Amino acid sequence: MDLATLEPGSELFSQRITMTGDAVAGYLAAVEDDGDAYAQEGVVPPMAVAALVMAEALKAIELPAGAVHTGQELGFLAAVDVGAEVQCTAKVVQNSVRRGTRFVALEITADVGDERALTGRVSLAIPEEEE
Amino acid sequence: MATPEVLQEISHKVTQAQLARYADASGDHNPLHLDEEFAARTPYGRTIAHGMLVLAFVSETMAKSFGRAWMCEGKMKAKFRAPVYPGDTVTTSGTLKSTSDATATYEIVVRKQDGSDVVTVDATVPIPV
Repeated sequence: MDLATLEPGSELFSQRITMTGDAVAGYLAAVEDDGDAYAQEGVVPPMAVAALVMAEALKAIELPAGAVHTGQELGFLAAVDVGAEVQCTAKVVQNSVRRGTRFVALEITADVGDERALTGRVSLAIPEEEE
Repeated sequence: MATPEVLQEISHKVTQAQLARYADASGDHNPLHLDEEFAARTPYGRTIAHGMLVLAFVSETMAKSFGRAWMCEGKMKAKFRAPVYPGDTVTTSGTLKSTSDATATYEIVVRKQDGSDVVTVDATVPIPV
């Protein structure tokens, strides 16, 4: 994707993801978290939801090799139960170039039914190719 | 539950095998994290850990201290300071930074074995009643 074409306000993707028990177990194994805190509450780790949304967002913009993930904001707003279907979106909120570096910011959301479960903002710095 | 001044430290040794597992679990198969030859041609010179993997360690620290309050009402604002390479051991620590109204904000730092900071985070959670 030509990053210059990303218009602030445009939606990158919108799709449903199901947080299965296997997906949660795989996530907890990968991050080496014993999962006790989540098992006690019976909820999906919110970072598992965030990770899936972020991965889809970064795939959608096809980041070049020199891209740097400079910042991340996340807000957890509601529990996501194991097996829940989550509606995920990402949209562009900033795309500007300053001193040879492109700065892109994306806003991500995850909803369960009518309830917002997660919001986030990712900041990326991408070196512009020299002409 | 009281609002602790200091959170329990958690350490993880990051390995290339873990990056592969995380890629499968998250769906983030960016070759920067997985392909040594590709990563060698980038400014990093070798594969690096996913930023979201490092933030998972931050969330683990908060979840162990605050449970459901973190999972359902937590907020974090992170700045990535340096890459984490396979073989690095990172330790997540947290200290109470401020309290206001009904929330507490912790300064969370993820440090490498050499003492350098890789991620700094302000993590905010409702004060337990």
